[in-house]
Amino acid sequence: MAEALGLVQGTLDVLVLRALVWGPMHGYAVTRWVRERTSGAIEIEDAPLYKALHRLENAGHVTAEWGTSDNNRRARFYRLTAAGRRQLRAEEREWRRYAAAVFAVLDAR
Amino acid sequence: MKKRFHLPRRSSRDIERDVESELAFHIDSRIAELTRTGMTADEARATALREFGDVGNAREYINAMDRRTEATVRRRDYLGDLKQDLVYAFRTLRVARAFSLTVIITLALGVGANAAIFSVVNGVLLQPLPFENDEQLYRVWSANRTSGNLQATVSVLDVDDWRAQRREITDIGGYFHSPGGTGMDLTGARDPQRLSVTYFTPGFFSTLAIRPQLGRTPREEEMVRGGPDRVVVLSHRFWQREFGESAGIIDSTLTLNGDPYRVIGVLGADIRFPSEGVDVYVPYSTIPDQSIPRIRPVRILGVVARAAPGMTRERVETELDAIAKNLSVAYPAENGLWDGVTVQGLRESITGSVSRSLWILLGAVGFVLLIACVNIASLQIARGSMRRSELAVRMALGAGRGRIIRQLVTENLVLAAIGGVLGLFVAKLGLVALLTLSAGQLPRGTEIHIDALVIAFSLAVAMVCGLAFGVTPALLSTRNIQQTLRAAGRGAAGSAAGLRSALVVAEVALAVVLVVGGGLMARSFLSLLQQDPGFRPGQTLAMNLSLSPQRHANFRDVYTRMLDAARAVPGVVSAGAIRHAPFRGNGEINGFMLDGLVVPSGQNAPSAAMITVSDGVFRTLGAPMVQGREFEPSDKAGTTPVAVVNEAFVRLWFPDRAAVGQALIMGATRFQIVGVVNDIRQVAMSQPATPTIYLSNVQTGRVQATFVVRTQGEPMLLAESLRRAIWSVDRLQPITSVFTLEEAMGDALARPRLITVVLGFFGVLGMLLGAIGLYGVLAFLISQRRREIGVRLALGATPARVLGMILSKGLALAGTGVVVGVTGAILLGGYLRDVLYGVAPTDVRTFAVVSVMLLVVSAVASIIPARRAASVDPAITLRGE
Repeated sequence: MAEALGLVQGTLDVLVLRALVWGPMHGYAVTRWVRERTSGAIEIEDAPLYKALHRLENAGHVTAEWGTSDNNRRARFYRLTAAGRRQLRAEEREWRRYAAAVFAVLDAR
Repeated sequence: MKKRFHLPRRSSRDIERDVESELAFHIDSRIAELTRTGMTADEARATALREFGDVGNAREYINAMDRRTEATVRRRDYLGDLKQDLVYAFRTLRVARAFSLTVIITLALGVGANAAIFSVVNGVLLQPLPFENDEQLYRVWSANRTSGNLQATVSVLDVDDWRAQRREITDIGGYFHSPGGTGMDLTGARDPQRLSVTYFTPGFFSTLAIRPQLGRTPREEEMVRGGPDRVVVLSHRFWQREFGESAGIIDSTLTLNGDPYRVIGVLGADIRFPSEGVDVYVPYSTIPDQSIPRIRPVRILGVVARAAPGMTRERVETELDAIAKNLSVAYPAENGLWDGVTVQGLRESITGSVSRSLWILLGAVGFVLLIACVNIASLQIARGSMRRSELAVRMALGAGRGRIIRQLVTENLVLAAIGGVLGLFVAKLGLVALLTLSAGQLPRGTEIHIDALVIAFSLAVAMVCGLAFGVTPALLSTRNIQQTLRAAGRGAAGSAAGLRSALVVAEVALAVVLVVGGGLMARSFLSLLQQDPGFRPGQTLAMNLSLSPQRHANFRDVYTRMLDAARAVPGVVSAGAIRHAPFRGNGEINGFMLDGLVVPSGQNAPSAAMITVSDGVFRTLGAPMVQGREFEPSDKAGTTPVAVVNEAFVRLWFPDRAAVGQALIMGATRFQIVGVVNDIRQVAMSQPATPTIYLSNVQTGRVQATFVVRTQGEPMLLAESLRRAIWSVDRLQPITSVFTLEEAMGDALARPRLITVVLGFFGVLGMLLGAIGLYGVLAFLISQRRREIGVRLALGATPARVLGMILSKGLALAGTGVVVGVTGAILLGGYLRDVLYGVAPTDVRTFAVVSVMLLVVSAVASIIPARRAASVDPAITLRGE
């Protein structure tokens, strides 16, 4: 159970970091971006994504700043830090290695 | 470049509000988007919430996470600032290298000297004795108020009675020990050797609550006459030295003075009571009556008492006073006048003789530290005035006053830390020098270490000095800093210079006090050296040996043969024997009577020191006979008992008639006075001889002695031949110590020399630091007044005039300092009175010499900057502005 949760948490963290690669985004935009990319494949609620954002902020992978949204409302914008970028690269590598290993098994005949 | 500004701090409530507003933004945005696709507002809201998931849980999680983040950020900011401060401090201190080095060295010297002296004070005066609840322990003496003898050692019978009659006092015990005096001969398997013994009475170990490291302490029945009292307790040192710490020693047997003693215990290494060199502890009851009679007039024991918890010294004294009073009534003949006691804390009694000296040294070293601190303050003010523009720029760029203060504190902390740590090394060196210098002169000398307390003390001193004297002046220089930019760097330097001048006056004054102290001690030491010890110490050798009457039935004969053997050694001019060599003890106090002397009823007979000697001893010591003759070989056991007295005795008892030919009655014997000898100092150079009676040791049968030999050449060269001469009479005769009388005299001068050298050193240190301070202030003044000096020179002042101007400024400051210092030294002089000999604490010559010396040093310190001022080129200076 703990492992499964860890996996899910880790997965969410990668997704959120990946969402922020192109520039600062507020929380709502991050959830939209993730939903669009995963729609149908994985069902993700918004709450875990927000938790992930704040967890990443605590870890120093993202910083947050209040700014103004497109519709002129006060919104919290998240930005990748250098450490966040490094973390994303590392996680990505890990994911690809993991997936490759699983595929290697599945493709075996 | 790292980003170095802080986000505004968020409180818990701020965080909650932010979280709410973030979540609201999300839901609102979702609703807005969903309504655009055609949903009703209610549907949209329901969908948004469903998609979001557990809002309550998320809110809680995010709040907690943000609070943690906030704490982390704050910590990181603080450490970041600290790091920035430290980096900046190191950088600025490296740039101002001369300044930093001066502060660090000044601090290291000040702290080091203080830590060294403090570690001595700590080890000797502050650390508890190695006994449980040592504050309950007291030293007790018999007191004879009629004769003014308030601290007399105690009779063994009295000790036993005190112990038996005590009520509230927990326990009392006595001991008999004199370093180099009380001893027993260890024979048996090894070479015979003389052991240093402490004889103890019942109550000794229980009073001190000594728990042995091995075995046990004696039982009550093992410490009394007729009991199985042939037991011995070993000191740790002796056990280590002779038995290699073997645990099998317990229950083995040692042959002491020819009798078997059973080893029952070994004491811990920290027990060095009553003196450092004790080898074994033996019951007092084993001393045979023919050696030391067990009677009340024989008062030779030290006594320790343990008070009940909470019992004051006064109550201990009251209780024992009452017992002593009863005994004086019960035994009027022996104890009639010994009707009281004197009680003193044990620790105080051990260290009392040096505590005054140590506190004086600690005070003096405190002055050194003050001078160092004043120097630091003065340097900081100078630096502050030069940094004004730097600080002003930083403030203009947005650094708050708080931030600047923090920066200054950090800089000074760095300096103080470096200075403090270096100070510990200085202390270590100083302590080695101090202990070498004090060789054996400090009670508890082996307990002196740089321990945790000393380290804490040094670092605390460094921090307090560094911060108080570093930050305060630096702070003063940040006041009105905004004007500095406008004034283009020439700010309010005037007031800083005034403050620094005041500091120099203080510094010179402190130096004067120190140097006067050192000077007085030096004069006192000189007058000690000029004292006549009463004998000629050159070319004399002394050997401690003790005959054992148990081993030699004809001990008088053996003794005479040994003396004759020593006289026959080639190179020996003459030889004699004396109970205590000069500076090694004052004999024992004995009562006596004179013909025609009427002692008022109820009073005891008069008493005087009594020392037994051989024939020819005064010739050997080089002490001239003032009248009559000294002991001759013809004064033997059968002939008329004769005595020699010293001049002090004659002054007191025969002020108006010839002493020679008079009779001295001691006990049942009439001694005829046959000679008067010059006063010999037996205790210390600063203590004149007391009235003393010399008796012949063959006539009294008291042959325990130090052989004294006058030689033709270097005395130590004869030591081996003399040993062999003595062993030719008795191969088993132990010889304990061999020393020259010059050494004995050197030891007697060691303590005054210690104080003199240390105070003198502090005086020189203080004077140097003061000179550096004066130099610094003048150099600073000149750099501030360059323009003015240039104008003066341009207007026609000669360089000589400028030189005179600066020089007189320096001397005016120094002169004021000298006046203040002399006043201070007069006020503090009283504290020195007790350690001074032959010189008043207000000695005019010392004060005059010191004042002139300080002024000369100040003049030298002023001349360098003054010459620089005189060589100012007006053209360059004026253009430079």
